[in-house]
Amino acid sequence: MIRGLSWRNFDFILLGAVILASSFGAAMIRSAVAGNEVLLPLVTRQIFFALLGVTVIFVVASIDYRYWLALYRPIYIAIMVLLVTLTGFGQTAFGAQRWFTVGILSLQPTEFAKIVAIIVLARYFDASQYRPRDLRWALGSILWASGIILMILLQPNLSNVLVLMVIMAVMLWVNGVQVKHVLITAAVGVVVVVALIVVSVIGIRVPFLQQYQQERIVNFVVPDPNDTYGNRYNVQQALIAIGAGGIFGEGYGYGSQTQLRFLKVRHTDFIFAASSEEFGAIGGGLIILTIAVIVWRCIRAAQKSRDIAGSMIGIGVATLIFFQASVNIGMNLNVLPVSGLPLPFISYGGSGLTALMLGIGLVESVAMRHKEMEF
Amino acid sequence: MSSTSTSRPVRFETWRLAALYIIAALAFTGLLFRLVTLQVVEGAAWTVRAVDNYTNEVSMPAPRGIIYDRNGYILARNLASYNIVITPANLPDDESDIQRIYRELSALIDVPVGGPVTDESLAQAKLFAACVPGPAIGQLVALQDTLAPYSPVKIKCNVTEDVARMAEENAVDWPGVTVEIEPIRDYPTGSLTSSLIGFLGPIPAALEEELRVQGFIPNRDKIGYSGVESSMQDLLAGRNGLRVVQIDVAGQELRNLEPPIPTLPGNNVYLTIDTRLQAVAEASLIQEMNFWNTYFGTIRISSGVVIAMNPKTGEILAMVSYPSYENNRFARIIPAYYYEQLSQDPRHPLLNNAISAEFPPGSVFKLSTATGAFNEGIADLNTIVDAPGQLELCEKFNPNDVCTELNTRPFVDHIYEKKPEGFGPISFQQCIAYSSNVCFYKLGGGYLDQIKQGGLGIERLREYARALGYDQESGIQLLGEATGLIPSPQWKRINTGENWSTGDTYIASVGQGYVLATPLQILMSGATVANNGKLMQPTVIRNITDGDGNPVEAWFNPQDFTVTTFQTEGAYQISPFTPNTKWDVTTTPIIKGYSCDGGYCSLNENDLKVITPEAIQAVRGGTRMAVTDPAFGTLYDVFNQFPIAVAGKTGTAEYCDDVARAANQCDFGKWPTHSWTLSYAPYEDPEIIVVAFAYHGGEGASVAAPIVERVIKAYFELKAIDIAQENPALGQ
Repeated sequence: MIRGLSWRNFDFILLGAVILASSFGAAMIRSAVAGNEVLLPLVTRQIFFALLGVTVIFVVASIDYRYWLALYRPIYIAIMVLLVTLTGFGQTAFGAQRWFTVGILSLQPTEFAKIVAIIVLARYFDASQYRPRDLRWALGSILWASGIILMILLQPNLSNVLVLMVIMAVMLWVNGVQVKHVLITAAVGVVVVVALIVVSVIGIRVPFLQQYQQERIVNFVVPDPNDTYGNRYNVQQALIAIGAGGIFGEGYGYGSQTQLRFLKVRHTDFIFAASSEEFGAIGGGLIILTIAVIVWRCIRAAQKSRDIAGSMIGIGVATLIFFQASVNIGMNLNVLPVSGLPLPFISYGGSGLTALMLGIGLVESVAMRHKEMEF
Repeated sequence: MSSTSTSRPVRFETWRLAALYIIAALAFTGLLFRLVTLQVVEGAAWTVRAVDNYTNEVSMPAPRGIIYDRNGYILARNLASYNIVITPANLPDDESDIQRIYRELSALIDVPVGGPVTDESLAQAKLFAACVPGPAIGQLVALQDTLAPYSPVKIKCNVTEDVARMAEENAVDWPGVTVEIEPIRDYPTGSLTSSLIGFLGPIPAALEEELRVQGFIPNRDKIGYSGVESSMQDLLAGRNGLRVVQIDVAGQELRNLEPPIPTLPGNNVYLTIDTRLQAVAEASLIQEMNFWNTYFGTIRISSGVVIAMNPKTGEILAMVSYPSYENNRFARIIPAYYYEQLSQDPRHPLLNNAISAEFPPGSVFKLSTATGAFNEGIADLNTIVDAPGQLELCEKFNPNDVCTELNTRPFVDHIYEKKPEGFGPISFQQCIAYSSNVCFYKLGGGYLDQIKQGGLGIERLREYARALGYDQESGIQLLGEATGLIPSPQWKRINTGENWSTGDTYIASVGQGYVLATPLQILMSGATVANNGKLMQPTVIRNITDGDGNPVEAWFNPQDFTVTTFQTEGAYQISPFTPNTKWDVTTTPIIKGYSCDGGYCSLNENDLKVITPEAIQAVRGGTRMAVTDPAFGTLYDVFNQFPIAVAGKTGTAEYCDDVARAANQCDFGKWPTHSWTLSYAPYEDPEIIVVAFAYHGGEGASVAAPIVERVIKAYFELKAIDIAQENPALGQ
């Protein structure tokens, strides 16, 4: 299968951007956990996963993505088994079951489930490419995604449910879903979201939503100005960290908010704030730019793909990275409510990083097998 | 597999892809824009908040100055009080070690270890203020751990020194447990000097802003609430040190951000008080009160004042206001029940009655009348005044009022009951020595044509009283001074709606009626006479030194009640000690001139006069005669055997206040009386003047005079002891 493979089409810009982002991430995690002996091993672990991830990229890139598509049934079943088991045996964190502990490593199947969902949806859209774009066609894709979505919803992990729904929606969009269906769904969506906000602000519990999730929404929509040390504390400290960074930052290892631990969860959710404090607008801007380059290269691979499946992989991974990054940075900048979505490639998290690298590997696989005007 | 796939790149509808690009571009641009807004536009404001986060100001309390008496005896000091505290962050990691420490500590200080830390038990523990017994160790530490793990939490306050020492010895085995030393104000002399020294209390909300600027920390630092603690607050307090440190989120101090400002210890204050004489004065007062109360079989005399002063320098040697309060009970907090009890006591133990209470002066006020009468030429040493037992005087509200039976009433002399015919014809000095009311009625208000100028008159009496220190604050360094009252016809019209009558002048001439004075004012009037017309500024401050014992220059401004280390307008020097002359009536013209005829006077503008030394000497002679005249000298019985020449004046002042009225004692013509005596010695060159006052004491000569006698005697005995100690050779 390696035969006839041209590494000339391997997207080194994408790889470079990914390596730049993960290296920067590892360095920032080192600065963020400095002085905390419990968290110190995380740096080595993140470097290990980054190296593992780069290997994964090359391995996956060298394999034709169509093999994965052909194996979609066993993969789908495997991830579903993992997710079901997780609901039973997983470790609970903040009221949600999200990872397995295997030895010292904790595995988060959810991160891989997102890649699996992309593969499964890519296969569906590839298989159904000649069918009319009616409701049945659209519902088919929803059906395929709903299994994974339901399991993640049961954890419950609303942010990742949202990620999957967005990926599905973008794929539907690109594949030519009817505009009237989009409008109807959008209208329903707006009503649901507004209703959710109103209900949360009034204080009525909604099924499938944890209390803390509703509180986060309320805190974002109507912040309590006196609540400096309560729920808004983390976001406030993130804003202070970012603002204090200025143009050039306070210097690596010298951010007062980060080093004196005023900024919480600074190696995961708020690593963007930590980076912006120590490297300023230059650093923060470069992170956004790097993510933008990665997203652009993924969409570019999708455009050049020889088939729908390849395009969908490119679009899916691009959407995954774009959405997670925007939500995370938006939360850091207090333009979006608090969610647990990490910043792709930069936040600490072995499973997340490996899963993303896997996704990039798939995109590289697509990029390498495109048919351009070269004979 | 690849062979079956289409060979052309997939083409989607361009606008759909374009929409994706646009959304992504907009999102990233939006985030970038927000990032730049925060960091570039609002950067400075956020930096301030970041600096605010990690900057902590640590105030280091300055030790308060010590208050000594004139001999260096400590009247107020700082004692160490020990608190057992736990710093959660310094406790060991192992939970079983922590529990062991709790158990051992619990056995020592008798605070429960506490069960498991539950939300419920924490909510319960939150209800308790610091130092209030109740919460268990585990709960206190758990609460502090969430608030500020690097700051200690008080587990038990005010433990004994032994317990503190045992806790210190266990420091190695008990990491996290420490002994905190908190300074507590201690007054070794307690209630003996409390009305003078005062007490400390928390910074009131009204002063919080102002004092915070000066570096005080509300809820920690205390300020003087009364007495010298209050008036010398600015010098006693010192200046708190300040360290600006960087802290992390847990409150751990990392480094100094600015060079620390060292603490400046408060200055030490030496009072003019001689604690031994103070103790004698209080004991004499209590002894005399007990004697009479036992004699009458009822609590008749319930409060009193004794003040001793050096008339040449103005130094107050003793100032007793009895009853007072135990200021040591205010050391940690001001107990509400005790404060309430004190503030509702009709004897006003919280006030210094020596300066804050106004009483009718009675006959001691005759010194003013006598001085005025002599100086105005109404009487001289050869004047003979006829003093029958009682005088029929008519009460005229207007010059043209006709004397009839209706407005004529008798004014009796104090000797009337024993000797109805009275003293008979007596000289000017005998009038003073015998304290003849009739004589002073005549000198003050005139009688027929017997008295020149128709008597002194109220306007001129007022001038002379003021020259002797009445009707105004003395300017002593103690809060809450009352002004007293010397009435004028205008005052009466404003306050009672009635014209001044001739009868008012008569009774004002003997210090009754509307006349009110503080014990200190009476002491000052006597001191002016004793010191040949020179009124010294009364002072309780003798010296002020800094923390190292070096003298500090200080001035006190009685107008705005401030103490400064530089001279200000209207201020007088209090340290190093300088006798300050308020005025010398024989050289400073402060008496406004009046032209009087038939008892009615008009003011002569720009006519200010002095009191002649002869007038002062004549009055002094009268006060000496009170001791030497065996016939009717009011102080003869008390002082004629005294080895040193004493002179003085007694007073028996009728009063009818709320207390007397409530007890139905205000029967017409038989009002209850306060007992006064004012004496100085040696007569030729006075160095001690004492005033004693006994509330509802009765006759001045029999109740207040023995107190004065004991204090003067003690003064000379103490003086002999001091001289003997300074020159041991003399004693052999």
